Amino acid sequence: MNNIAKLWRTTTVRLTALFILIFIVFSFALLGYVGFQSSIEIQRAQSRDVAWEIRQFRNLDKHRGMRALAIAVQRISSQPGPGIYYLGNPAGEMIAGNFFAIPPNVLSAPGQYSFPYSLEDAFDRRVRRPAENQQEEHENSRREGRKSQAIVRSVVLDSGLLLVVGRDIVQRRDFTQIIVRTLAFGLIGIVLFSAIAGVLTARRVLRRIDTINATSAVIMSGNMSERVPVTKRDDEFDQLATGLNEMLDRIEQLMLGLKQVTDNVAHDLKTPLTRLRNRAEAALREGSTDADHRQALEATIAESDQLISTFNALLLIARIEAGSSTDALSDVDVSQSVEDVCELYGPVIEDAGGQLIVDIERGINLHANHELLSQALVNLLENTIKYALKESAFKAKGEGNGGKQITSEQILVSLGRQNGRVLITVTDHGPGIPEKDRARVLERFVRLEKSRTKSGSGLGLALVAAVAKLHKGSFEIHNAHPGVKAVISLPETK
Amino acid sequence: MKILLVEDDSEAATYLVQALDEAGHVTHHAQDGETGYAMASNMEYDVLIIDRMLPRRDGISIIETLRAEDNETPVLILSALGEVEDRVTGLRSGGDDYLTKPYAFSELLARIEVLARRSNPAEAATSYQVGDLRLDRLSRLVMRDDEKILLQPREYRLLEFLMKYSGQVVTRTMLLENVWDYHFDPQTNVIDVHMSRLRAKIDRGHKKQLLQTIRGAGYMIRE
Repeated sequence: MNNIAKLWRTTTVRLTALFILIFIVFSFALLGYVGFQSSIEIQRAQSRDVAWEIRQFRNLDKHRGMRALAIAVQRISSQPGPGIYYLGNPAGEMIAGNFFAIPPNVLSAPGQYSFPYSLEDAFDRRVRRPAENQQEEHENSRREGRKSQAIVRSVVLDSGLLLVVGRDIVQRRDFTQIIVRTLAFGLIGIVLFSAIAGVLTARRVLRRIDTINATSAVIMSGNMSERVPVTKRDDEFDQLATGLNEMLDRIEQLMLGLKQVTDNVAHDLKTPLTRLRNRAEAALREGSTDADHRQALEATIAESDQLISTFNALLLIARIEAGSSTDALSDVDVSQSVEDVCELYGPVIEDAGGQLIVDIERGINLHANHELLSQALVNLLENTIKYALKESAFKAKGEGNGGKQITSEQILVSLGRQNGRVLITVTDHGPGIPEKDRARVLERFVRLEKSRTKSGSGLGLALVAAVAKLHKGSFEIHNAHPGVKAVISLPETK
Repeated sequence: MKILLVEDDSEAATYLVQALDEAGHVTHHAQDGETGYAMASNMEYDVLIIDRMLPRRDGISIIETLRAEDNETPVLILSALGEVEDRVTGLRSGGDDYLTKPYAFSELLARIEVLARRSNPAEAATSYQVGDLRLDRLSRLVMRDDEKILLQPREYRLLEFLMKYSGQVVTRTMLLENVWDYHFDPQTNVIDVHMSRLRAKIDRGHKKQLLQTIRGAGYMIRE
């Protein structure tokens, strides 16, 4: 019962029902038209026949005499069919024919008449030939006591005899009924067939929908890796399934991101929080001086500032990855943005013992987020200062030669177009990143420096990667032999 | 200065009121949005500090209503929402400055002092003078002791901002926001580098150092 209700709710079944209804209405209209037209045609043919018969009888009367006419009328009367015949003398006595209930007014004046009559009274069954089969017998018995309708023409022949020829129009109705019945049977067949076809189609559709529903139920119960099966037919359901699967992939990816953030928060934020707590506890210990307290408090503030900035970076990355910042995209003069950042960092790099070389192609405009793009570039430059410059300066000192290698201090920032893409490149000649770690450093909280002596959250490159992705671009780290060549590649926008 | 603080976190509010008091300001505190709005529209304050998310009435709505009533008291919005879009909504509603939680007290203090001054008509001045340092905003000329100082465009804007609020502490974040229009926090002290260059240009060779570093807060230019 539930299944039937469900089937009824499907679009296919409803549409089928609607079409069947429309079809029935049209069929009835057609049937009516056919019935009406054929009854008119039959009527026309009958009156033609009646006229012809009257003409024949007139000829007989004229040329062959009364007797021949009476025999002819009698013979034609005994034939089965809707024919009504009456031949009588002016005195009103019946000479031949098969119809015994001619109303007096028909006989009194010639003309066309239509009148009801009782079949039982009108026909002499002894005259009519016996029923040929049971069907006819049945028809006859059904006719018993039934009222019928006759259309007749009465004429006065040359010999003065009265002739009435006509047709029982119930017969005509019977014929129309046959046509209607035939068509109705056809109609029922068609309706049945289309109903079955509709239900079958609906069940097929329902089955496909049910698989999708089943998949979503599995996913809702917690198994995010489940996917809607896609067949090879590539029909509308497969397109729907593909779309759903893509959406699920995206959702799964976002959930994974969220989980990663939660894990990261648990691991990488708990550590500094613990440190913070320990420091406060140590400061509270007896025997510590005011100077100790002050130092501990300052360290606490510094540590919380670091925590806050880590937290902010984490939230920002999460927001970018969720795609909620896409609405903040506007037309940005990227050349200007890159130049501004270079202008901000040029002196900083110089002070750190490096040299910033800038190579910017002018007039590059993108649909982008100015703030995030700037921040991404800032992060890359911060990294070169932290890892390339300080490292190489340290190395130079450690080696004790005092001199600096020329190339190791040069940091190159370039912006240009290449194959329909806009490339922002930051190249340094520091120690570089080992091949195996190049993909890993883009993940959150990955820091290659084990000792963690340098400040930093481990989120800088993750943010760059997220920003590149927000702009539908990519971020890659290449080997600059030696050093790092970081490339943000963005598709050109119109 | 008379300050109204609308903040629902009573611990944070107590701390702020006390700290502002120590800095020499009179501070009234409202616990929820309705009270805050009533106080702001009935009394005259120099600066309003309004938290964005408040019980009974949110901060943005308070500011919008005040502005609709032609109340032009400078407003500093405090918020945990720090995205650029949030900032834009806040400033568009009529707020004058936006500070993301958590913040350093020195940052808040520097900002409200600058805000209070902003309503001062003096800010439209065509030139600024601090001691013997003079900045002409029309010719973009900077002179010290009748000696012309050549500045890069950005250095000029940096000095212009400092001189506009001379005698007041200007934080690094404020400089980054107002001179460079960046709302993120670079790890390295980029501002310090630029300030030391600016200082070299305007103070080197002079006995009186005008550009001063305020420890734990920022910078200040004064006689």
